[in-house]
Amino acid sequence: MILVDLAVSFGLLSLIAFGGMPSVMPEMQRLVVDVKGWTTHAEFIQLFAIAQAAPGPNVLIVSLIGWRAAGLAGAIVALLAVCAPAAVLSWWVADLWERFKDSPWRRAIQRAIAPLVVGLILAGGYVLCTPATPDWRLWAIAAASATAFLTLKVNPLWILGAGGAAGAFLL
Amino acid sequence: MDVTPPRNLRELFTGFLAIGARSFGGVLPWAHRTMVEERRWLTQADFAETIGLCQFLPGPNIGNASIVLGKRWFGLAGSIVAFLGLMALPFLWVMALGILYLEWASHPVVRAIVTGVGATGAGFFIGTALKLGRAIVKRPAALVLIAGCFISVGIGRVSMLVVMPLAAAIGIFCARRGWL
Repeated sequence: MILVDLAVSFGLLSLIAFGGMPSVMPEMQRLVVDVKGWTTHAEFIQLFAIAQAAPGPNVLIVSLIGWRAAGLAGAIVALLAVCAPAAVLSWWVADLWERFKDSPWRRAIQRAIAPLVVGLILAGGYVLCTPATPDWRLWAIAAASATAFLTLKVNPLWILGAGGAAGAFLL
Repeated sequence: MDVTPPRNLRELFTGFLAIGARSFGGVLPWAHRTMVEERRWLTQADFAETIGLCQFLPGPNIGNASIVLGKRWFGLAGSIVAFLGLMALPFLWVMALGILYLEWASHPVVRAIVTGVGATGAGFFIGTALKLGRAIVKRPAALVLIAGCFISVGIGRVSMLVVMPLAAAIGIFCARRGWL
C-alpha cells in the first residue's frame, strides 16, 4: 500500500529533520530515489527546483514526490506525514523548552546540534547537484549561487532566475 | 511596542494565509513582516525566540512555528487553523507548478532551466551551511563533526538514521566538556 509507505517514510524523516528540512534532504533523496524508486535522480532535483521556485515552505517538495508516487492523495499524505510527528513534538516541547531555559543540558544539546545541521545541509547541497554521473556544470551553478547568496542582498528569487538561465545555456 | 495577538481564529487563519501566499523566495522574512511589522501579533524578541526553538526542533521550521504560535493563542484549534492557513496556498501553487512542469518536462530546454534552478537551490544550501558554519568552525570539535556528517551522509550515502544518533551522542559529549 503505497500511501502507508509514504506516510511511514516521510513520518520518519520528520523526526530526524533537526534544524529543518534542508538537513534531511540527503536522507530524503536516498530514500526516495535509491530505496523506493519513487523518482529518478534527475527528476528529484527538478522537483526540488519547483518547490524552491514556488512560494511557501520548501517542505512542499514532499507533496510533489507524493504526487508522482500516488497522485493527489499521495501529495496530501506525504505533506501531513512530514509535518505531523514534528508538529506533535513541537506542541509538547514548546512549554518544556521554556522551563529549561537555563538548564546546562539545553545549552549542550543546542551546541551539539549546530555542527550536525551544518554538515547535513552541506551534504544536502552536494547530493542534490551530484547525479549518478557527476556533472561539473551543476557544481559550477551551485558554487556561483552560493557566492551570490552570501554576497548579494537581493530576493533569492532573482538568483533562482539567473540559475535557470544558466541552466538553459549550460545544460 | 504594543502587541495585539489575533483576536479570533479567522484573524489567525488570514494572517497565516497572507504569509503563505506571499512567501516567494523564503517564508521566514514574510512571517516576520506579517506577524511582527504589519499585524503586531508579537514582539521582535518573541518572534526570534519562537523561531529559534522551531529551528532546533525537527521538522519544517515554519510549520512548527505555526503549531507553537497557534497553540499559544487558541490551543489545539489554533494550531490546526494556523497550519492549514500557512500551507493551503503554497500547496496549491506547488501542485499547479508541478502539473505545468510535467506538461513541458519532455522539452529539453525546460528540463535544463528547471535543473539549473535546482542546482541554484542546492547552492543556497551550501551558502546557508557556510553562513551557519562560520560562527562555530573555530572549534576543532565542531569542524570534525561537520566533516564527519558531510562525508558519511553526503559522500558515503550512509543513512541518517545511523549517523544522527551517533553524531548527536558525540556532539553532546563534546559540548558537556566545553569543546563546542
